[in-house]
Amino acid sequence: MSERVVIDPITRIEGHLRVEVEIEGGKIKDAFSSGTMVRGIENIVRDRDPRDAWVFVGRVCGVCTSIHSLCSVRAVENALNISVPPNAEMVRNIMQAVLFMHDHTVHFYQLHALDWVDVVSALKADPKAAALMAQQLSPWAKNTEGYFTETQNKLKKFVASGQLGIFANGYWGHPAYKLTPEQNLIATVHYLDALEWQKEVVKVHAVFGGKNPHPNFLVGGMPCSIDMNEANSINSDRLSLVKQKLQQAKEFIDQVYIPDLMMIANVYKDEWTKIGGGVRNYLSYGDFPLHGYDSVDHYFLPRGVVLDRDLSKVHPIDANSSEEIQEFIYHSWYNYTQGNKAGLHPYEGETNLNYTGPKPPYKLLDVEDKYSWIKTPRWKGQPMEVGPLARMIVAYAAGKEPQKTAIDNALQQLGLPPEALFSTLGRTAARGLETQLVANWALKFFDQLMKNLENGDSRMANPIMWENENWPKQAKGVGLTEAPRGALAHFVVIENNRVKNYQMVVPTTWNASPRDENGVLSAYESSLLGTPMHNPNQPLEILRTIHSFDPCLACAVHLYDEEGKYVHQIDTF
Amino acid sequence: MNETNHHQRNTLILGVGNLLLKDEGVGIHTIRALEKETLPSHVRLMDGGTGGLHLLSWLDGYDPIIMIDATLDNNPPGTVRLIRPRFATDFPPLMSAHEIGLRDMIEAMILTGKLPEIHLIVISVGSINEVNMELTPEVEAAIPYVVQTVKGLVCHSRLPHPSP
Repeated sequence: MSERVVIDPITRIEGHLRVEVEIEGGKIKDAFSSGTMVRGIENIVRDRDPRDAWVFVGRVCGVCTSIHSLCSVRAVENALNISVPPNAEMVRNIMQAVLFMHDHTVHFYQLHALDWVDVVSALKADPKAAALMAQQLSPWAKNTEGYFTETQNKLKKFVASGQLGIFANGYWGHPAYKLTPEQNLIATVHYLDALEWQKEVVKVHAVFGGKNPHPNFLVGGMPCSIDMNEANSINSDRLSLVKQKLQQAKEFIDQVYIPDLMMIANVYKDEWTKIGGGVRNYLSYGDFPLHGYDSVDHYFLPRGVVLDRDLSKVHPIDANSSEEIQEFIYHSWYNYTQGNKAGLHPYEGETNLNYTGPKPPYKLLDVEDKYSWIKTPRWKGQPMEVGPLARMIVAYAAGKEPQKTAIDNALQQLGLPPEALFSTLGRTAARGLETQLVANWALKFFDQLMKNLENGDSRMANPIMWENENWPKQAKGVGLTEAPRGALAHFVVIENNRVKNYQMVVPTTWNASPRDENGVLSAYESSLLGTPMHNPNQPLEILRTIHSFDPCLACAVHLYDEEGKYVHQIDTF
Repeated sequence: MNETNHHQRNTLILGVGNLLLKDEGVGIHTIRALEKETLPSHVRLMDGGTGGLHLLSWLDGYDPIIMIDATLDNNPPGTVRLIRPRFATDFPPLMSAHEIGLRDMIEAMILTGKLPEIHLIVISVGSINEVNMELTPEVEAAIPYVVQTVKGLVCHSRLPHPSP
């Protein structure tokens, strides 16, 4: 007889994700991931000017801020055959790199680290020994006995107050925590440092995008003018601030994030590189263009699909093909006019809500029937994992540098084979390695921008197709990006200068979707199978694996009350 | 929110919420209404959007901060309450539908040892179950009262003025 355990919400940031697992003999036998929300964003941009769509979709989320706007302008540019000037490309790359660095680092420390790090154990650490250990791992100047002692005292106060949710809600003392008190202290001190650090790097978004969160974008380029000597433009002062923030970001990533990641990976590698792998297919749209959005071969993150963990082959992707990307609703609370089994390409996408689930408050979902607001996307009929691990695996299989060397070095340092990548820890490690690469690239993009400017190229926007009298009567386009959490696509159909249809296929849709008609599991569900559970009432193991994907369902909406109970269903739009 | 608007010891009025979800955006709608008012020069207005941790850098140096957000409590839509949260747990239920809400932001401020004086104005919402940019009439009708509350706080010495 199996036992059903429900975790709802599961996101450490406010939650919209529910996971139900069946446990038998101490291991997870089956898992069901449900997005208990619905997203109605597509309808709010319908009939609007496509040049304005980025403003609306940018407000979908405050965590993945800016990436939806970028994806939106790319979709419209794709539909209208607009290419952006090199400066705009570099500014977009810099902003996206900042988003990656910010998001990945905040995910590692604020949203995921406490699955591996026992804060309460850190209180028992010897600060002197911890500082010595940290100094051996990294030249970071703040790894001193004095600072560790001071921070440990601060922590003791927080924990004693019981007022802070993040320290009150952990499964402290769970036997799955394996770090020594000193290692726990190092990581916890850096948790607090990361909070301070993250505030600085995002200022780059405000320089180029005018504000943050929700920086400004522009179809055809970027809405900023650079003039070295003009007080009201982005001038040399502003640009040196950008460079300084990028350098500081890199320093933190190199000297704090990566050493902590390797320290944690080394302790957990035996167990956590063997579980949590999930689906065997990985998809990346690729990103960070160097010679234009259409020159995919020059992307820093390559595009492609790896099937069945076969690292010898990368399959090409055609996002416009109705045979490749399809969304299914067999287990999702929607209707399709073509019936329950149809798969629709996003250009033909429909969003007709059909909630048939239990009336809240409920105990269990009816997993035989529909059980999620997330549709089930498939690539050529197959489930895909998206995200940093997928991007690194596609790059590795393509033999792309510097990714390949970075992965090989990390594997060698930990004494692990490439197969170790296909796991919970592989996913968490891939995110860190990617952050380090992106930190280097950000400075490259900055240098490239400066070079263009020095060569006298100050163009930031391509106005040729701005006026809509030049537009075709009908047009459609797809914007492909890599959000920190994975492959993101916006599809736009334009008719008579207005948005006729708009569909977003977001990373968490790929990863968190319910199984398909054939019972084939998507990434989250599949990754949980076989995971041993020490204590079903303290499902730390589930959190580790699900958090390793960096779940974010804010592109969706669903509301919980303070106790984490369901309070409100978004039921119409 | 502009980088250059960053001064020490100024009062910040921060509206947050999701403009796309009807009443959930009431905090932002209030900021827009306040933009039409005459306010003392030490007061800054900020449309915080749905941003959580991204906002922290823009809050540095402001003290006090007046936050405005929607709440889904059991009060009739349009009910306005002014509270003084001292701990993250003092926040009323459901500040926002967006990821990393105000509460997480306050926790981060406590952790980094930079918690300013915070006043929180919450407006009980009616409809957030539609994707739409209009407020419901009850909530819309509350905005003038919220504006007056804010002005009372910043104009009539009910908050300490910034040190010179």
